[in-house]
Amino acid sequence: MGLDYATVKEEICKKMTVETIVSMLKILVFPGAIFLFVLAFFYEWVDRKFFARVQNRYGPLYTGPSGVLQPLADFLKLLSKEDITPRASDKLMFILAPIFFLALPLTMLFVIPILSQTSLVAFEGDFIFILFAFTLIIMTIFLAGWSSINRFSTIGSMRAVLQMLGYEIPMGLVTVGTAIAAKSLSISRIVEWQSLNFWLILLQPLGFAIFTICLLAELHLVPFDLPEAETEIVAGWRTEFSGRKLALLRLGKDLELVLASALITSLYLGGAQQFWLIPPIVTFLVKTTFAVMLLTLLRAAFARFRIDQMLSGMWKYLLPLATLQIILIQLGLGR
Amino acid sequence: MSHGSIIKVPFGPQHPALKEPENFLFEVDGEIVVDVKPRLGYNHRGIEKAFELRTYIQNIYLAERICGICSDAHTTCYTQAIEELLNLEPPPRARYIRVIIAELERIHSHALWVGIAAHEIGFDTLFMYVWRDRETVLDLFEMISGNRIHYAMNTIGGVRRDIHAAMVPKIIKGLDFLEERLKYYLNVAQTEQTILKRTAGVGILKPKDAVDLCAVGPTLRASGVNNDVRADDPYAAYDEIPFNVITHSGCDVLSRILVRCEEMLESIKIIRYASDSMPEGIIRVQVPTKVPQGEVVSRVEAPRGELIHYAKSNETTKPERYKVRSPTLGNIPALCKMLLGGYVADIPIVLAGIDPCFACMDRMAFVDTKKTKKWVWTMQQLRRKYAKK
Repeated sequence: MGLDYATVKEEICKKMTVETIVSMLKILVFPGAIFLFVLAFFYEWVDRKFFARVQNRYGPLYTGPSGVLQPLADFLKLLSKEDITPRASDKLMFILAPIFFLALPLTMLFVIPILSQTSLVAFEGDFIFILFAFTLIIMTIFLAGWSSINRFSTIGSMRAVLQMLGYEIPMGLVTVGTAIAAKSLSISRIVEWQSLNFWLILLQPLGFAIFTICLLAELHLVPFDLPEAETEIVAGWRTEFSGRKLALLRLGKDLELVLASALITSLYLGGAQQFWLIPPIVTFLVKTTFAVMLLTLLRAAFARFRIDQMLSGMWKYLLPLATLQIILIQLGLGR
Repeated sequence: MSHGSIIKVPFGPQHPALKEPENFLFEVDGEIVVDVKPRLGYNHRGIEKAFELRTYIQNIYLAERICGICSDAHTTCYTQAIEELLNLEPPPRARYIRVIIAELERIHSHALWVGIAAHEIGFDTLFMYVWRDRETVLDLFEMISGNRIHYAMNTIGGVRRDIHAAMVPKIIKGLDFLEERLKYYLNVAQTEQTILKRTAGVGILKPKDAVDLCAVGPTLRASGVNNDVRADDPYAAYDEIPFNVITHSGCDVLSRILVRCEEMLESIKIIRYASDSMPEGIIRVQVPTKVPQGEVVSRVEAPRGELIHYAKSNETTKPERYKVRSPTLGNIPALCKMLLGGYVADIPIVLAGIDPCFACMDRMAFVDTKKTKKWVWTMQQLRRKYAKK
C-alpha cells in the first residue's frame, strides 16, 4: 500500500545486484577459478616435492618457502617464452586445444563440493557430466596431438585414446557404484549421504582401488604415462606446444590433478565434511592433499607399462573386478 | 606380412632416449620393427689421428678421455700395449692397484647403467636411488685419486698413486654399504612386476647369434656365453685373484640387468680380495720415452665388454698408428638383431640394454658403397667442401 512501484523495483534491483556480485565472486574468486588456480599450483608443488622426497631428492627448493612458488614461477616463465605454431599444423585446433584443456577440468571442478556439502553448481546428474567431460579431455588431447602434425604427437595422441578405451569402462562402472549406494546421480548428494552414513572407502574398498588406478591412467601418470613417455616419444602429444600454450596445458594438467584428488575425496573419502568445529573446506583440503600424495606415491613406485600390456591388463583384470564390485553392491554389500 | 603398411621411423640423432647422437632408421609394420639400419659416425672425434700426433706420455691423458665412464679401462689398455712394446712388466703392487681401480670403475659404470635402464622404462625412483648409491664409488675414487671420473691412475710402467693402508678400511666400508644396496636392487629387479613386464623376453639375442655377431661383455654373457677377457686372457693381477664369470641364459634385457647387478657384487669380492692380498713394494718403474719398433694388440674387459687397442711404433716418441675398438662397436650388429621383431615401445630399453657409448665408438671413413671405394680427405679439402654450403 505504502510502497510505490519505483522503490520496490529499486529494492529488488539492489538485492539482485548484491546476489549477482556474490555469486560472480564465488565463481571467479572463491571457491571458483582463482582459488582453484592457487590450489592447482599448490598441488603441483605437493606432487613434485613429495615425488622428490620419495626419490630421496630435494625437489623445488628456492622459489618461495621450500620452493612452494616454483610451479607459479614455471608458469610465468612459460608465458614469457616464444610461442611457436608449426607451419604444418592445423592452426585453429592447435590454438583451441590448450584452452579447452584448461577450461574442461575447471568447469568440472565447479560441480564438486568444496566450501560446503553443496557445490557451486549442483544438479541431479552432474555425476554423468563429470564422466562425459573426462572423455572430452581425452578428445581434446587427441585433437591437440593430431593437429600438431608430428610423429611423436600423433603416436602420443593415439596412445591416449587407446588408453582411454582401457580405463574408461572400469572407471565408469565403479563410480556408478557410489551413485547406487547414495541413490543419487549428484556428487553433492553422494557427499551428503556419506556424512550421514559411512565413507564409501569403507564400504567399497575395491571400488576405491580401481578408481585410483583408473585416475592414474586418466592423468597419464606412471605406470600409465604412455601418451607422454619421454624416453619413447619425447613429450608425446605435447611435443609441439611451447610458450603460452604449454603454460596453459601445464595449468590444465594441474587442474586435472586437483580434479582427480577432489573426486577421490568426494566419492570415497566423504568430501567436504564438517568435523566438530573444523570447517568443511579444511577437511576437503586435508583429504585432497592426501589423495594427491597417494597418486604421487603410486607413480613413484612403478615402471611404465607397454600399451598392449596396459590395455590387456585393464580388460583382463580391472573390468572383471569393477563388475564384481557392482555385483557386490547389488547383493547388498557396500551400501 | 603386408608391405604396404611399412613406415620408416628415424630414431635419433636427437632423441631423449639417446644421450649421444646416433641415428637408427627403423622400418615399422604397425608396432613391430621389421628392419633396422644403424648409421654411425655422428660423433667422430679424430681420436686415432690425435694419438699419432702426441708423445706416448701425452697419449695417456688422451686415452683417459676416450670415454668418460670407462676412462680407466682405456688407459689400462693403452699402458698395457705400450708396456708390451717396451717389453717391461709393471710392479706387482701396481697390478693389484689396477685391478682395484678397474673393479671400482666397473661398479660405477654398471650402477650408472642400471639407473639409465630404469629411466628408459619409466622407473625414475630406481634411477634416483641407484645414482645416489653410486656416489659412494665416486667418493672412493675422489679419496684415492683426487678425481671422481678421470682418475689418471695409470701410467706406462705402473700406477701414479698408491692406495695407502689408511684408505683400505674406508674402501671396505664403502663396499659393505654398496653390497647391501646392490643386493636390494638385485631383489627389486627380480621381483618388481612392472620391471619384469618390460624386460623379460624383450630384446632376445640367442647364444648362437651373440657369438656369430661378435657381441661382447655383459650383452654376450647375458646370452649364456661364458666369455670374459679377465678370465680368458688375464691381464693386471686377474690371474692371481679368484672370481666367477657371471652368465645368465635368459638372452633378454632382464638377464642383462641381472648380469650387471651380479657382476657388481662379484667386483666387490674382487676388490676385497685384492686389497687384502696386495703385495708391498714400488708402484711404478722408469720407462724410456722412445719405443722400439713393433706392433701390439692389447685387450681389456671394460665395463661394457672387450676393449681392443692396437699400437704400431717406429722407434720415435710417437706411435705410428693407433686404433681403438670400443665394446659398443662390437655390440652394434647384435643390437640390430635384438631390435628385429620387437615392439616400437621397447626400442629405448633394448638400445640402452647394450650400454651404448657412441662417443667412444664413432670413427669416420669415406666410403662409396656402390663403387666399394675408400678415400681420405685432408682438412683443407673438407673445409673447401663444407665452406661452400
